Amino acid sequence: MTREEILKGLIEILENTPQVDSSKLKNVTEKTDFITDLEVPSTELINVIAKAESKFDVEFDDDDIDDLGSSVSGTIDLIEAAFKNQ
Amino acid sequence: MNKVAIVGMDGVFPHCKDMQEFEEKLFSNQSLIRNWDLVASYDKKIRTKVAGYATPEETGFQKFSNGLPDEYPMDLEDISGQIPNVNLATSDLGSAWAMKASLGAIKGAGWTKEEVESEETGVVIGTGSGGQEGTRKVWNLFFEHGKKTRALGSSNVSRSMIYRDAANVSCLIKNKGVCEAIGSACATGLGSIGYAYRLIAFGLQDRVIAGGTEGTALETLIGFDAMQVLSTKFSPEESSRPYDKDRNGFVCSFGCGIVALENYDQAKARGANILGVIDGYFNNSDGDGDMFAPSFDGQQRLWTGLKKQTYINPDVVKAHGTSTTATGDVVELFSIAAQLGKDGYHVSAPKSQFGHMLGAAGAVEVIVSLLMLKKQMVSPCLNSDNLKTELESFQTKDDWQGPKEPLAAYRNLLPQLALAKPINQIVCLNYGFGGTNSAMAISKD
Repeated sequence: MTREEILKGLIEILENTPQVDSSKLKNVTEKTDFITDLEVPSTELINVIAKAESKFDVEFDDDDIDDLGSSVSGTIDLIEAAFKNQ
Repeated sequence: MNKVAIVGMDGVFPHCKDMQEFEEKLFSNQSLIRNWDLVASYDKKIRTKVAGYATPEETGFQKFSNGLPDEYPMDLEDISGQIPNVNLATSDLGSAWAMKASLGAIKGAGWTKEEVESEETGVVIGTGSGGQEGTRKVWNLFFEHGKKTRALGSSNVSRSMIYRDAANVSCLIKNKGVCEAIGSACATGLGSIGYAYRLIAFGLQDRVIAGGTEGTALETLIGFDAMQVLSTKFSPEESSRPYDKDRNGFVCSFGCGIVALENYDQAKARGANILGVIDGYFNNSDGDGDMFAPSFDGQQRLWTGLKKQTYINPDVVKAHGTSTTATGDVVELFSIAAQLGKDGYHVSAPKSQFGHMLGAAGAVEVIVSLLMLKKQMVSPCLNSDNLKTELESFQTKDDWQGPKEPLAAYRNLLPQLALAKPINQIVCLNYGFGGTNSAMAISKD
């Protein structure tokens, strides 16, 4: 799966998250930050990560999630790494 | 002590889309109780068939799953768009209703944004149950399906914590004063309003949003069905029958009642529409060690306590009147009669129309009382067709201190249809498991 396809999948998750303003999702790139740019509530961000595990059928290490931060690129890195570890 | 006014009210009521429909149905003697398809789908596993509930179309709140987990829709959409998604993300159904009703009560009160967001505004809202619907699903995913905790979603705590309703309302309206929940089982709604009354009376707050809410949850009904205390075999409209000799249980119902309380002098000074004045509130406990049975002694002390607060001469007593088979209905009526005699007032039993809304009951019934003051009509005691003509067994015992006549001697107190008459003062009564008793007197301004 390419990074572009992973980004598309993350945007689909956000589109189904009512707390996120859908108008902010038009220009999401790898440089976007979930919290500062998209105003995803921090309690909701962990839901986005958990939904990503389900959507991409991967499992993240707890330590990796702790160190994740809130950037879209970091999340794509995490998903890519999880694919490689499978 | 400060005088306290009620200046706003709103709620979510069974089989009604808004308060206007609730008012129309109440005073045209209609029952709001229906068969519940969800209960019927469990066939003989659940004894009762009826409940008081509002559909998503009536309440305007639709459940859906935003993907975590797919199989359990616990997220809410407000079809009217009134409650922001960020607030709905932390609320269960009862909390969502409390938010909607709080906005309605504040609108009716006419409070400014600045007043609502001040340190002098509090929120006191409680519920009877522990968020069973949400927690059942979350625990099932963890314990039965072996999911990791993060796959359960991050909203379970805010959707099931005891004071979730007060917390969600406070986060919505952004008040800076008190935010707490009162829990006293089926007295929760009245207890919350009573506590809010004290906050203003004692000068700790100028205004408080107060009430009770009980979101529709099959899990809640199941608990009471297991106790064999829910009504069976009657048609829906005949199933809640307080005081009737053939009553066989209460009707489990769901709803929400929220009122806006304000320091009377401040409300008067700004020309607020005063729906009622709280003359006094008192609560106590039976002290007899019995979790469930009512206590004549406890209720007599309740009345004595209320009378020490204010002058009591009610035109209507809004009773708890649940329609349970045990001694609840009769002990309550004998307690009232021991205090007020056999005539000169009427007893309203609104649960005969909409069942027992548990933690919301007391608050919704305060709203019924305010509507009685407004319309100058007593709401009826439906289905109280036949009152027992023989003494109750406890009345024949040597230690019985109450009236020595059977229930039928009090027929004239219980209007079977809505009754127009001058109403200046109403006493509201509610009781709960654990032997807790609450009483509030409300008058016209």
